[in-house]
Amino acid sequence: MASAISDIVGRLEETCRDPLATARALARDGRKVAAHMCTYTPEELVLAAGYVPIRILGWSAETHRADGLIQAYACSLARSALDLALSGQLDFAELMLFPHTCDTIQNLTDIWQRNVPSMKTIAVSTPVSTGGEAEVVFYRAELERVRGILGKLDAPVTDEALKACLALYAAHRAAMRRLYGIRRANPCALSARGMMSIVLSSFLMPKDDHLAVVEELIAALEAAEIPENGSRPRLFVAGAACSSEAYVAAVEEAGAWIADDNLCTGARAFALQETGCGDPIEELARTYLSRVPCPAKHRPGFDPGAALLEDAQRAKADGVVFLFTKFCDPWAFDYPRMRDALEAAGIPSLLIEIEQHVPPSAQFETRVAAFVEMIDTKEESE
Amino acid sequence: MTICAGIDAGSRAIKVVLVDAGTGDILGSGAQDQGVNQAMLARDLLDRLLDEVGGNGKSVSRIVATGYGRNLVRFADSTVTEITCHARGVRRLVPDAATIIEIGGQDSKLIRLNDKGAVRDFAMNDRCAAGTGRFLEVVATRLEVELDALGQLAAQSTEPAAISSMCVVFAETEIVGLLASGIAREDIVSGVQASIAKRVVAMAGRNVDEPVLFTGGVAMVPGMAAALEAALDHPVTIAPDPQITGALGAAILATQQ
Repeated sequence: MASAISDIVGRLEETCRDPLATARALARDGRKVAAHMCTYTPEELVLAAGYVPIRILGWSAETHRADGLIQAYACSLARSALDLALSGQLDFAELMLFPHTCDTIQNLTDIWQRNVPSMKTIAVSTPVSTGGEAEVVFYRAELERVRGILGKLDAPVTDEALKACLALYAAHRAAMRRLYGIRRANPCALSARGMMSIVLSSFLMPKDDHLAVVEELIAALEAAEIPENGSRPRLFVAGAACSSEAYVAAVEEAGAWIADDNLCTGARAFALQETGCGDPIEELARTYLSRVPCPAKHRPGFDPGAALLEDAQRAKADGVVFLFTKFCDPWAFDYPRMRDALEAAGIPSLLIEIEQHVPPSAQFETRVAAFVEMIDTKEESE
Repeated sequence: MTICAGIDAGSRAIKVVLVDAGTGDILGSGAQDQGVNQAMLARDLLDRLLDEVGGNGKSVSRIVATGYGRNLVRFADSTVTEITCHARGVRRLVPDAATIIEIGGQDSKLIRLNDKGAVRDFAMNDRCAAGTGRFLEVVATRLEVELDALGQLAAQSTEPAAISSMCVVFAETEIVGLLASGIAREDIVSGVQASIAKRVVAMAGRNVDEPVLFTGGVAMVPGMAAALEAALDHPVTIAPDPQITGALGAAILATQQ
């Protein structure tokens, strides 16, 4: 059974090895592809309009083309993704969607529009505040506007098509949450590299295909008896995006298990609550606004420190590793509250800034290894 | 006699410490410049030291490697990061130490210890070489003085120059400008030492527990401890034989594994 698990995970790791290959093949087969930059993109609407949505991350190791258009203190996610487009590597995609999350992504929309004429750009005004009914009204209207734009490109987006896509995505998110639960119960069940590959491949493949693989994997995991290995510290990884498996794999290879995360290329991507209301556009609006707010969003009364602490305690984490993308202001603003909440509860944390397109350095490995040693030897003395 | 060895493969030098496996007493130590073939250099230094203490390869029961090149010392039995090793080494030498500042060739660290001498928290420079020994080397070359003479030169300074660049490459350009405008070498060196100290202090934040121990190769550069004291506003003690603290910690850990 263990080999069945590694076979399935291996297939998804293979998908991530050349992240754009799947989408390129889909386009060659005549499927229409829409790219986007953020988990707040309402993919259900895009799929209902006949496009396969794929999420773009920092996969270009070079950024010199983008560096001529964006300042060096914009995050590597933006610079690397733009470089992919400028080098023609996203030519298979007809659309590029930008939900308004942080300022960098919002302003990237205009830069993209001017400099990547082969792609039609669509900005989606996602409310910054996600707590109340006014935001639902606003977002509902915005989604109707986007539905109209998409509908004019080909055929109108019907309620039936949208409902089918909502159901597919709800099932996919539920399956991913189940997978996260399995890992939380026993982090030895899925390696950090494997888990990240599963998540990243979900952004790269048609959702129905991915759901089938994940269901197959869950069945294999539930049938397998995987012994727990309690000798390593359990870590929780917090942060925004990770464009590759390398960083979380390096954390685990330092001698820890990753029990859970709140990455937007991780658990956060699937932490949405469906309401089951009849109107599909309203359902879409409410579902996306239900997400545990990322630091680029605001919900009155929401305390990011308390939320992270709750997640870390649920994961029985011995420590938290913050993986921040350099120059990501929203996370930097929330960091002190998160760190203080952990510290008050006696959970040590380590903050490391990463560049999305640069592999982990020797210093990264040393810092994580020292953190793991610190947790391991907290009570030791000579 | 059974011996445990600690090897610290740093960016600038390899350090080896031998301890008695039973008592943990230090038997010998040495350092030599780093090179391309780290494993070979480490082996040569280890063999030389073993020879000095009347031992040989067979008398070594366990070897722990640390430092940025630790994974290249493949003949070691295990590896431990330099953060843990410096904490262990300092604990042996100065049992009540609360804070360690370690400045090596390519990075600097601030390590806070708990009352048992274990690492409570740590920070490492992650920007560039501006807070490290490499900066001093660049400056020494540019000012045409030996590294050892920097402290003596700095002591003669009456008006330390302000070095404001956050990056060694830009700082070197800044120094070229200072030289061109007739600023004395001693004032530049003094300014550079203060600049390195400030980078390190920036990692410490507002709270520093005493006693503060200074380790790493840069602790041997005269004037640096004084620069740290001035920037930190706390007394700073140079650890005994500061360059080998990491290797000593590794050797002690080898006796316990």
